[in-house]
Amino acid sequence: MSEEPAENALVTLTIPCAPEYVGTARLTILGVAGRMGFSYDQIEDIRLAVGEACTNAIERANRNGSNGGGASAQIDMRCLVEAKRLTIEIEDNVRGGASGTEGGEAAEEEFSAQELGAVLMEIVVDEVTLEAAPNGGTRARLVKYLSDTAPSE
Amino acid sequence: MAADDVSRTDDATAAAAAAAAATPAEKTPAAESSPVTESGLSGLAERLLLEYSRTGDDRLRERIVTMHQSLVRFLAQKFANRGEPLEDLIQVGSIGLVNAVDRFDATRGIKFATFATPTIVGEIRRYFRDKAWSLKVPRRLQELNQAASRAMDDLSTRLGRSPTIPEIARAIGATEEETLEAIELGNAYDTVSLDARPEENGESSSSFSDILGHEDEGLAALERHGDLTAALEALEERESAIIRLRFFQDLSQTEVAQRLNISQMHVSRLQRRALENLKRLLAAQQMGA
Repeated sequence: MSEEPAENALVTLTIPCAPEYVGTARLTILGVAGRMGFSYDQIEDIRLAVGEACTNAIERANRNGSNGGGASAQIDMRCLVEAKRLTIEIEDNVRGGASGTEGGEAAEEEFSAQELGAVLMEIVVDEVTLEAAPNGGTRARLVKYLSDTAPSE
Repeated sequence: MAADDVSRTDDATAAAAAAAAATPAEKTPAAESSPVTESGLSGLAERLLLEYSRTGDDRLRERIVTMHQSLVRFLAQKFANRGEPLEDLIQVGSIGLVNAVDRFDATRGIKFATFATPTIVGEIRRYFRDKAWSLKVPRRLQELNQAASRAMDDLSTRLGRSPTIPEIARAIGATEEETLEAIELGNAYDTVSLDARPEENGESSSSFSDILGHEDEGLAALERHGDLTAALEALEERESAIIRLRFFQDLSQTEVAQRLNISQMHVSRLQRRALENLKRLLAAQQMGA
């Protein structure tokens, strides 16, 4: 077993804003969170949140695909590893507002997947912040704390 | 009661299609008559829930539950890769949904789906927690890991080259992500038998159980014995004699009294004092150490 990693480690990943690559982000965070000593269930919760954040970005890109465009859409994931805390920033460069639900075409459904995605994230990780990124996209900031006690919430 | 509701929901699934077809027609008049529309809450679900909270009509409740099966399914799918069958997750999620229907306060103006999600997810997560796996990693992942390594061997022989991830995934009937996960995580979390003999430079060594450390009771007893002997020596002669006779030779107070030629009452008193002194001496020793 290797010794614990240097105090704060930063892992970054840039993926195209496309469904095929969500798995890559989920696998990356599996590796990062696994190293930190999160339990299997906690890791799955983190991966769920990461998946939701990426999916939100992709759905926004799809919706704005025709009008916005510009540079090819991509997602940056930054994982800051601290002793007792994992902070994940998922930032996209998709123009057209954070979490703005238009409630347009999918109105016949009784719920919007995007809205629920945000609710889901809040349930499975400790902190969720959604904000406008400097590049005009959206940044989701997810924080999960590593508890010393037996994994339970 | 909740389980009953779920099974009724299943029964109602067929009726749901019919209900859904009928919905648009019913929707409009309801919308017009409902005061909620004015307060800006326009969802059909919320209107039905308000109606239900007023009338307590079970058919309404059933309809709301049926209507939100897609929500439960959507949420359950998010947890589907954790080793429990999707159907089970939908089942427990439905219990959460029914609870949410009963607890929802339609006058507060929040969307039902938003309100119900934490309840449904909570039920699903509790289900995982209560499963109390004997191991931290679900068996499915371990099985997948074994299946993957078997498939890798098979495919290597068959193809004459190392197989790709999609090929392995197809062979074991899993997604590519699951396959990668199984390969990556499966090994790390694999358990090892205590009797396994780890290889060391190609030679098999002692088993894990042989080299695992444990508390040496004998050593601790020896230490305690040493402390006690020292403390006994520090006691007054008659006190130490009573302790030895009473506790080392197991004599009764009367027998000790005869030996020392004193009354049994006296033995009792001396013994109490001796034990108190011993305690004090031992405590002092520990402080000193």
